[in-house]
Parts: sequence; C-alpha cells; structure tokens
Amino acid sequence: MAPGLKEIIEALIFVSLEPLSLDKIKETLADHPPEEVEQSLQELLRDCEAPGRGISIIQSGGGFVFITRREIDPWVRRFLKIDRKSKLTSASLETLSIVAYHQPITLSEISALRGVDSSYTIKTLLEKKLIKITGRKKSPGNPLIYRTTERFLAYFGLNSLEELPTEEEIAKIVGEDKPVEQEEKP
Amino acid sequence: METSESYQVRLEVFEGPLDLLLFLIRKKKIDIHNIPIAVITREYLDYLNRKEQINLDREAEFVLIAALLIHIKSQLLLPREEPLLGGEDPRRFLVDQLIEFQKIKAACSLLKEREEEQLSLWTREIRPPLPEPGEPDLVEVSLFDLAETFFVLMKRKEAENFKVVRGKNYSLEEKMNEIIAMLKKEKVLDFLDYFSRQETLEGAIVSFFSLLELIRARLVIAIQEQLFQTIKVWLRKESSIRQ
Repeated sequence: MAPGLKEIIEALIFVSLEPLSLDKIKETLADHPPEEVEQSLQELLRDCEAPGRGISIIQSGGGFVFITRREIDPWVRRFLKIDRKSKLTSASLETLSIVAYHQPITLSEISALRGVDSSYTIKTLLEKKLIKITGRKKSPGNPLIYRTTERFLAYFGLNSLEELPTEEEIAKIVGEDKPVEQEEKP
Repeated sequence: METSESYQVRLEVFEGPLDLLLFLIRKKKIDIHNIPIAVITREYLDYLNRKEQINLDREAEFVLIAALLIHIKSQLLLPREEPLLGGEDPRRFLVDQLIEFQKIKAACSLLKEREEEQLSLWTREIRPPLPEPGEPDLVEVSLFDLAETFFVLMKRKEAENFKVVRGKNYSLEEKMNEIIAMLKKEKVLDFLDYFSRQETLEGAIVSFFSLLELIRARLVIAIQEQLFQTIKVWLRKESSIRQ
C-alpha cells in the first residue's frame, strides 16, 4: 500500500536535522495540494497527542521537531548521563526578559530598567548566545545594541517573538500577586 | 514567597534595589500608585542598616535608590509658591520605574515556567557523537569566537619562531579540498591540531581562511566547547549526502 501524506510528513520530520518548516514540507510535497499537506500535518499532530507513546511532535524554533514526552525526562537524563540541565540565574532571566520585550536595547537602558549594573549579565547571555549585538545606537557614545537570538526562541520553545507572554498575561500575574500577599497576613 | 521569613531575608537575595522596594511595597500592602514615601524610606533604610557595612561595588545601587527616596520626600515637604504644572508628583518617576519593573518580574516568572517545561523535553540534537558524561554543552561557534581562537593560535605560532627557507604558495581551494578529504576519512577534525601541523605561518593562515570558507558554504559544522579551546569540525550531514 502506498504511504499516506501523514506518514511521509512524519518521516520527513524524523529525518530532518533542524526543525522542519511547513514551507519545506510543502516544497518537498509539491506534487500534492498545499491544503492537503496542511491537513495531513494537523492529523499527524493530533495522532501524536494520543497516549501510549514516548515521543511527540511539537512546533518550536520555526518548524516541527520530534520531542520526548515530558514524563520521560528522568530516563532520558539517566541515559545521557546528565544530572540536571542548568537553568538561567534570576539575574540572567531578568535581563533576558528586558531584552526580549524592549529590543533593540542598549546596556545602559537595561541597567536603568533593572536599577542594577548589568554588564556582567549581558556578557553571560552573549556567551550563551541567547542575545546578540546587532549594531550601535546613533546617540552619544554610540552604545552597542542588543537583541535576542534564534537560540533564545528555541530555548523557551517559542517560534517567534510574537509568542512571548502578552501584556494581558503579564497584567494578570501582576494583578494576582496582590491577593496572594494579602492571604499571608500574619 | 519570602514574605513569611522576611526578617531573615538578606540583601543579597534581592536582584537589586527595585526588587527590594517592590518586596517592601507588597509586604506593607501599599498601593504602588500612592506610595507613602516616609514609611517606605524607613523600611528601606532599615534593610540597609541591617548590614554592618555596605559593599560599594555591589550595593551602591541600593544606596542610590535610598538617596532618591529621601530626595522625593524632601520635594514633597518643600513648600511651593506655585503648584507644579499639571500637578506633577515627585514620586512619578519612581512609580513608573517600579510599574515597569513589576511587569518585567511577571514576564520573568512566565518565562521561567516555559524554561522549566522546555528543559524536560528532549530533541535529537545535531551533536554528531554522543557527548561524554560531564562534557559541557557544545556550542556552535560564531565568527567572533573563531577569530579570537585564531589570534591565540597565531601567537603560539609566532612563539615557535621558525624560519621559512623557501616560500610556497598555498591556495584556498587546495586547503579546502584537503580539509574535506580529511573529514571524509576521519569524520572529526581537531582544528587546533591540524592548525599546528601546518609548516608555515602562511599555511596556517590559509588553513584558517579555508575553515571560514567551508563554514560559510555550509559544508562543515565547527563546534567549540569553550573559548580558546580547540575547534572540532564535522562535515555537514546534508552536504555529504548530496555529494
């Protein structure tokens, strides 16, 4: 029996070394109508959600990739002999969210927002390639301008900057904080 | 939250003065838009005073905000001949900064959740051989890293201080082919090793440029585990299939 589109797409994602973009899938399956390809892809994604499998397919970093189920994490780490993936420090995370939301941004602007000198944190984030220098600002001193990288998106499982938490989501958290504090009244 | 143990909280726990201010505002259940400056300043200074000495390198920013608070208070106390235009509140600048900072903290907590989630998901990564246990995360190197390593290597070559008796011409193409041929045979090339095997300075430089060319043409992947360490080079899988 000839394989269906769904199976073909699954195989393509499996073989691809990088997240496989929808465009690339369509390009490969140019002999099929694009709508059919998309539909089959959706079917495949639905199939992947069904229980009883150790892997799944998600959209991340601008394409589709195979990914292990979250519950399998302890065994994967045991297999790869990795104790724990290191997390970002809160200073790094703080600086990174400022860059993400305010980019393009300079070091002094970041430091002003945090109220803390951030040159060391910026250096660490540059080394981790979560941010990059994209030029200089045309203002006194021509300071360097920073932006987030593709690696930043992949690190947080985002496809684009538009998928960052929205104003509303943030406002909700800011609002939630207060009642929580009040409950803790001694 | 740290609230319950607030009196054991040390200054170091706070990422910065704004963090401490927000903490105090929440602890005192103060409306951020209407901060009683005297109350908050007292609380804030209390925290600073709990430290025996201020480390100016690390904590100057805390002192700066303390000064700002006192300045705002004095502005509020000073009688004015005419009311400020548009009823400008001296607290305005600080409040704006705190509100923005509060948003950043909220975004942080959301990103942290995402990070947590992502860290428990595993993909098949482009890591040709399985990493050795305890090996640091491999990072694909940027041109900048390569250049930096290059200068380190050049220094080493210079230090060797050998003499070239007879000039020899190196072509970029020859070198590139040589590297590709070696990669086909051995899969992984230790570039530092290869580099130091070059007989002349010229050969070394050309071999470095060849590597840059190969990376640009997306024929190879170069990975450096840490700055100034060796660069490992692999053929890109896709390209080797095509050839």
